[in-house]
Amino acid sequence: MTDIITMLATNWISIIGIIIGGICIAVGVHFVPVGGAPAAMAQATGIGTGTVQLAAGSGLTGLLAAGYMYMTLSAVDKPGISEIVLICATGAVGAMIMISVTMIVGNWVYIYGVGVPPASAKVDYDPLTGDSQAPYVAAGTVGQGMPTVCFVSGAIGGLLGGLGGSLVYCMLMWVNGDPAISSIFAIGVFLVNAVLPSYNIQGTIEGFHDPKFKRVPKAMLACFIASLLCGVIAVMIPGAGGF
Amino acid sequence: MSEPTETANQIDAKGIIIGLVGIYIAGIAAPAGMPYLAFLAGIGALFATKMGADAVRRVCSYGIGTGVPSIGMLALGMGIIAAMFGLAFGKMVHAPFIGPIVGLALALAIGFVVGSLANKIIKLNIPVMERCLTEIAGAGVLVLTGFSVMIAGSMDFVVISEKVITTGYIAPVFILGALGILHPFNASLGPDETQDRTLIHAYSCGAIAMTIGGFCSIAAIGAVAGLITTVVGLAIWYVTFMGFVKLVKRDAGAGYVGTGLLPPGAM
Repeated sequence: MTDIITMLATNWISIIGIIIGGICIAVGVHFVPVGGAPAAMAQATGIGTGTVQLAAGSGLTGLLAAGYMYMTLSAVDKPGISEIVLICATGAVGAMIMISVTMIVGNWVYIYGVGVPPASAKVDYDPLTGDSQAPYVAAGTVGQGMPTVCFVSGAIGGLLGGLGGSLVYCMLMWVNGDPAISSIFAIGVFLVNAVLPSYNIQGTIEGFHDPKFKRVPKAMLACFIASLLCGVIAVMIPGAGGF
Repeated sequence: MSEPTETANQIDAKGIIIGLVGIYIAGIAAPAGMPYLAFLAGIGALFATKMGADAVRRVCSYGIGTGVPSIGMLALGMGIIAAMFGLAFGKMVHAPFIGPIVGLALALAIGFVVGSLANKIIKLNIPVMERCLTEIAGAGVLVLTGFSVMIAGSMDFVVISEKVITTGYIAPVFILGALGILHPFNASLGPDETQDRTLIHAYSCGAIAMTIGGFCSIAAIGAVAGLITTVVGLAIWYVTFMGFVKLVKRDAGAGYVGTGLLPPGAM
């Protein structure tokens, strides 16, 4: 039992890291333009799949990038704060690339395949470019494709998701030093923190210009508690080499 | 949703008891020289899969807005943390046999907290949310622990870590275990959904996970034990999938034809 208390006392900084990572993931989910099934039929703005699939996809790509960077950097020395920053940046870029590729290819399909112009029904003018949206929204739909504002918002979502996932991974690597256990745990923490916010947005959101974005504080509070719980449990596992 | 043929309490009791008994028999017998019994952990995981699938069925019939798969991924996300902590805790206190029970208790607690967060803070206001997420997290732990013990043939955290996690077999266990919990209702939902059809589908999805786990087990425990698991898994899959097809035909309101044309009732 004393082992467990000692581990909690020595690893409190990792718990804080996991909580910050969890909150980053929760906020990141709100930025990603998720359209769900209606978007898959070009009847709503956003990417045509669910939040969890998108968050998990970009998060896991980020995790892979971060894991590779961790391996490269830890070959030289035990990673410190500056290395962690580099690893998290790599993870963030990895996730951004994944989500951006998904959005651009999705847009090609919407524009050249379905034959619809990307437009948002939630705003009259694109907040970034000032382009008029309403004339391009097909009758009976709530927008289609990814207009500029959604694309930028999605890239920010990927950045936050990848950052959060890599941070959780780094924190767990500090504790147990086992890449296999750390990555599977990071996936677990990631999924919990991706699904709770997806309930908050009720499945679909367009990005930071969507009125639903104002619900972010609720998801942050919920994910704070959930990440705290996951973090406390996760740092108590010493990894197979620790026995 | 039609009237259930089995109540939630019956399904939970069967899932937890058969799940734990299967895991314990396999986890105790396999290191003691009888690895051929490892498949029993998979049978336990099958009943746990059914318990999770029924909880998904009850909570998702309220319409959670994000699609059914999200809740299955949530289950396994909570489940993997609790399951690994349980096994590691057993190792830390030098009593590997308490591992699955500690993991289960912890998952039930995490599930209840996450369910309360979803209802109280995010305000989903689904009356069965707390109970169902508790059950789903418990099912997630039993599925992961069950298939891990089945593949590794041991309840020891170090052995599972070496044979299941480091080798990467945890990835198919994770995703196939989640599929068994989330897919049955996702595939069967609708106004004509019936409980027995959804749950028999849960068995057949679990049996697919068991079959694939058996292949992984060939490398982890040995050829004979792994093949026994694979064959048992395949047999369960065949029986339950045929049962599923039968129930699909029973529930098909317009009748069915085997040719791809519209059935007479739909004309």
